Amino acid sequence: MTPPLQSVLSPAGPDGVLLSRFSWLLFAVGAAIFLVVATLVLASVVRKVRRSQSRRLVIVGGLLFPVPLLAALMGWSGWQAAQLTWPFSGTRIHVTVTAHMWWWEVRYRDTATGREAVLANELRLPVGERVYLALTSEDVLHAFWVPALAGKADMVPGRVHGLTLHAAAPGRYRGQCAEYCGTQHAAMAFDVVAVAPQEFDTWLAGQALMVTPPSLSGAALHRGREVFLAARCGACHTVRGVAEGGTLGPDLTHVASRSHLAAGALPFSRAALIGWIANPQAAKPGARMPPATLAPEELQALATWLETLR
Amino acid sequence: MNGPGRTPNRLPRPPGEYAALERAWRKPAGWRVLTAVNNTRIGRLYLATAFGFFLFAGILALAMRLQLAVPGNDLLQPATYNQFFTMHGTVMMFLFAIPMVEAIAVFLLPGMLGARDLPFPRLSAYAYWAYAFGGAGFIVTLAFGLAPDGGWFMYPPLTGKEYSPGLNADFWLLGIGFIEISAIAGAVELIIGILFTRTPGMTLARMPVFAWSMLVVAAMVVFAFPPLIAGTALLELERAYDWPFFIAARGGDPVLWQHLFWFFGHPEVYIIFLPAAGMASSMLPALVQTPLVARRAVIASLVAVGSLSFALWMHHMFTAGLGQLETTLVSAASMAIAIPTAVQVFAWIATLWRGRVQFNAPTLFILGFLLVFVLGGLTGVMVAAVPFDWQAHDSYFIVAHLHYVLVGGLVFPMFAGAYFWMPLFNGHRMSEALARWVFGLVFAGTNVAFFPMHISGLLGMPRRVYTYGSEMGWTALNLASTVGALLLAGGVALFTLDLVRTLRRPQKAHNNPWRASSLEWLPQDEYATRSQPEVRSAEPLWRQALLVEQVASGMHWLPGSVTGKRETLVTGWRDARPRHLLVLPGDSWLPFLCALGTAGFFLLMTMQQAVAAWLFGALAIVTLVAWLWRADRPLAAGAAFVAEGIALPVGAKGTASHSWWATWVLVVVDAAIFASLAFTLLHLSMRLDTCPPPGAHLPGAPWPWLQATLMAASSVLAWWSGRRAGQWWPMLAAGGCLVAAFAADLGAHRYAGLAPSRDAWSAAVAALLAYEGLHVAVLAPAVVFVAARGKLREASRATLDNTILLWHCAVGQALAGLVLLQML
Amino acid sequence: MRFGKTHDKARAGLLTVILPLGLCACQPDKPSPPATDGGEARRGQLLLAQFQCGSCHTIPGVEAARGRAAPSLAEYGLRSYTAGRWPNQQANLMRWIAAPHSMDPATLMPDMGVSAEEARHMAAYLYSLK
Repeated sequence: MTPPLQSVLSPAGPDGVLLSRFSWLLFAVGAAIFLVVATLVLASVVRKVRRSQSRRLVIVGGLLFPVPLLAALMGWSGWQAAQLTWPFSGTRIHVTVTAHMWWWEVRYRDTATGREAVLANELRLPVGERVYLALTSEDVLHAFWVPALAGKADMVPGRVHGLTLHAAAPGRYRGQCAEYCGTQHAAMAFDVVAVAPQEFDTWLAGQALMVTPPSLSGAALHRGREVFLAARCGACHTVRGVAEGGTLGPDLTHVASRSHLAAGALPFSRAALIGWIANPQAAKPGARMPPATLAPEELQALATWLETLR
Repeated sequence: MNGPGRTPNRLPRPPGEYAALERAWRKPAGWRVLTAVNNTRIGRLYLATAFGFFLFAGILALAMRLQLAVPGNDLLQPATYNQFFTMHGTVMMFLFAIPMVEAIAVFLLPGMLGARDLPFPRLSAYAYWAYAFGGAGFIVTLAFGLAPDGGWFMYPPLTGKEYSPGLNADFWLLGIGFIEISAIAGAVELIIGILFTRTPGMTLARMPVFAWSMLVVAAMVVFAFPPLIAGTALLELERAYDWPFFIAARGGDPVLWQHLFWFFGHPEVYIIFLPAAGMASSMLPALVQTPLVARRAVIASLVAVGSLSFALWMHHMFTAGLGQLETTLVSAASMAIAIPTAVQVFAWIATLWRGRVQFNAPTLFILGFLLVFVLGGLTGVMVAAVPFDWQAHDSYFIVAHLHYVLVGGLVFPMFAGAYFWMPLFNGHRMSEALARWVFGLVFAGTNVAFFPMHISGLLGMPRRVYTYGSEMGWTALNLASTVGALLLAGGVALFTLDLVRTLRRPQKAHNNPWRASSLEWLPQDEYATRSQPEVRSAEPLWRQALLVEQVASGMHWLPGSVTGKRETLVTGWRDARPRHLLVLPGDSWLPFLCALGTAGFFLLMTMQQAVAAWLFGALAIVTLVAWLWRADRPLAAGAAFVAEGIALPVGAKGTASHSWWATWVLVVVDAAIFASLAFTLLHLSMRLDTCPPPGAHLPGAPWPWLQATLMAASSVLAWWSGRRAGQWWPMLAAGGCLVAAFAADLGAHRYAGLAPSRDAWSAAVAALLAYEGLHVAVLAPAVVFVAARGKLREASRATLDNTILLWHCAVGQALAGLVLLQML
Repeated sequence: MRFGKTHDKARAGLLTVILPLGLCACQPDKPSPPATDGGEARRGQLLLAQFQCGSCHTIPGVEAARGRAAPSLAEYGLRSYTAGRWPNQQANLMRWIAAPHSMDPATLMPDMGVSAEEARHMAAYLYSLK
């Protein structure tokens, strides 16, 4: 059995651990209470009690027992909430995540070096370091939820909500949009990859780079790049160094460094890439990307070139 | 009052008395069944329609579960699935749950209270037909692919014009509109009926717990529905006229909708649950043959739950960026409501312990209710804890929670109630043998369908997804849920078959098979009971041994029909002593036709068929005028003998009139809508850096004073016309002042450059102005109507009094609006 | 002829009722939209959303199409001109959608890579807007 990809109960950071334990505690107490009540209900079938005892049951069950228990729960809940990492933007790494229908625009800013990078549908975190997320939306309500690391936060147009992520162990954690946002709400996922800090810095530096023109020996690469430009993909997608200004779709400068396409709808592979470009409506009906009227040879070349964008 | 042991009337009864009673209450036949206004007739239609919508929404759910049974399924396209889940939620919540509890009250409550009917029979008929036509039109949209697809709570901006350009969202707003009408009408009926038309001797302390629950629920409706009415109106204004209440780019706020909707939405679920709790409290004593333990505590708990439910709405918004203070308070309140709920649960358990439990159908479903609902309530307390909710919100954990509380809290008591009260229809009980199968399938199906959802939610499955990947680990859980849904469907199907079979059996006397203690089990016919029972305890059929025979032979109150028409007694709300005789209207085409006109008008307007819409609109207006024309007629007899030596006035005026108090209920609803619009303005203002926003201006100094003076003058003149009934000029002058005041207000704002489309703040000001205009548009013709109809006479002044009351309300709101705007 | 006061009042009353009704009937004739052959309006509606034309234009009936940067396309079927300059006929509109810079090099409307076939469907939808 594969380990759960998106589970509250498989935490990977201090907040996740706290929430997971809290969930188990609530479940245990809830189950115990339910068993007591169920026993009382089923026991009624056999017992017959005097009036004063039955009154006592109401007072004990309705007041004496719940009041202290709920007060304790309220206190414990408040205490646990205070232990969680509150959004704090004094961290080294800031990430602005802007939700679109149905993909995630991700902008990194390393406040130490001033380095900035724009990508989509994937976040990477340095293990052991807190990262501040500024969450907003470009169109309708969405919500950012990566259960292994933190609770969810709504992404509201016109507002910025803060969330701090802190991964304690390296790994890949999946997140998904958790506020119904239209036709393809079900296919709006993202990956959060936690890596060692040096690896993270290397990665970020790479993401900040533009695409350099391929060497002249790569004929197929040239062809692919030409197809990209001729088919006007750049009208929606930015590939820094090749086509700038496209903001309607995800930034593709380093698309091949990501594990999925189309916001988690497809795993990144050559076949998936070709299928997606040829007809996005097959994998994600309603997606705001038109089918590409390209010849097979053009699609192949385009895929070859895109695969080099790591 | 006669001495102990003496009944209000003695035998023998005069000849022709019973025949007159039968004649007045005769059931219409043939086509004329559509004219019925009697609560037994309307109640049956209501129950059948609500159950029909339940089956329809259930079939949608089955389709959804089949789609989700395996990962990557293509049984339903995403657009179709999204319409299905929206319709499932909307139909279940608005066309099944609320109407079902209303239907049960309409059918059962007058009998339980010993009254002959509800106090406004034509209003309930209108409310029913409006609901039936509106609901039918609404579900037909699914066949045309025009069903709404924004989720049952339709959050903007997704449901604004930009992201939902089609008519789908407009149909949702329309459908909701009908339910709003039905619910408010129902609330008026219930409050007036429960407070004013209880049978003599039935003080509030002796009233059945179900009636208490309906009183609390009716009061909740009065305060909960107005924010929904305001919110849906604002969304429609945004969609139709581009008034950007929820568009962030122009100063609007999507979270505003959430506040307005959930201020309704949370009490709504208690509006659904409390009647079922009341039903359980009323059924259980009969089933175990012992009075309800801690009855007063249960009643107090109903009131506590009803009031506290208004403090919880923000727990639906814990992830929307609220502040820490409000989050904490709401979390505490959400936990606190478990306490009165627990009191009721333990009272039921204690009653079960005290009595003798027999395994009959209603008891099985009550046991099932306790188990399923308590589990749902416990997960509710879990999600009241904010950190846990931050993980569970909008995941399948919440889907599990809501189904456990709604299926447990409404559907199980509904089945129990069906098995329990079925003999009231035609004397027969449903099949006990089949009931065991129904219970088994429904109970097992519910748990197998919904329990795994707790787990899939914690494994990360969000709500409202049309499919999922096979690598997510949710496959087995979803398959199990689908199997459970099929079991549940099987149980419902079996129940439906038995229901139809039982209803087709020939009529016979029921003979109180459960040996219940409450009045609905007296022998009843179209006229309810032969005479209205004098009640001396909370369990009249247990404590008053000869009650059945005495009532049936006419020895109690009002054994006939004094005026030859339908009548019932009005009693004091505290002491339950008879006050006056209320003459009720008989069957009529007007409510049916008016509802048809109303439904047709709004439906066709939504479809942008203006000409056809106005034809229906004309029908609605004409029938409404005819209806009001015939209301409030001076009555022939001045006094009526309802018991030996006891004569009561026929009808009442002023503060004794039931219609006066009904108008007060409408005043509260109206004020609450105004308050919601004022809240809108405040909320949007708080989000601005400068108020008014750049480009927006309010009218300068002299105008508000002018308007205030004219408004106040119109109110004074209206009051004067009440004192001087018979003179037409004060009322017309009042009307003139009102219209002038509004015209001045409108003109002043236009002159100051009010542009509602420019920014949300201006739109909010315009909304308040429009609401004021709506009042003027209703009151100005009312002036003409009152004068023309000759309502300005002492003898029949109810219309005048009510109009004046509404007048003061409108003026009060206008003045409050002016103050609000000037202070901001 | 002599008219008494009541006669005048009656005529005035009649006029105030009839005239507005008459004016309602006097609507300028709406032009009929240009002919489209081979294009499917429904496909065009979906394509307009997929190419995100709505990010600049307001287009009735298309999702996420409330842009204000470019002229609204409401009632496009009744327009006389495409882009304000060329006669509103299918051939001109298709060419404008597919290659705006070939018609006006200075236009801000980007070349979105729309094929001729796709432009035909989009034109069919736009012409259905009345």
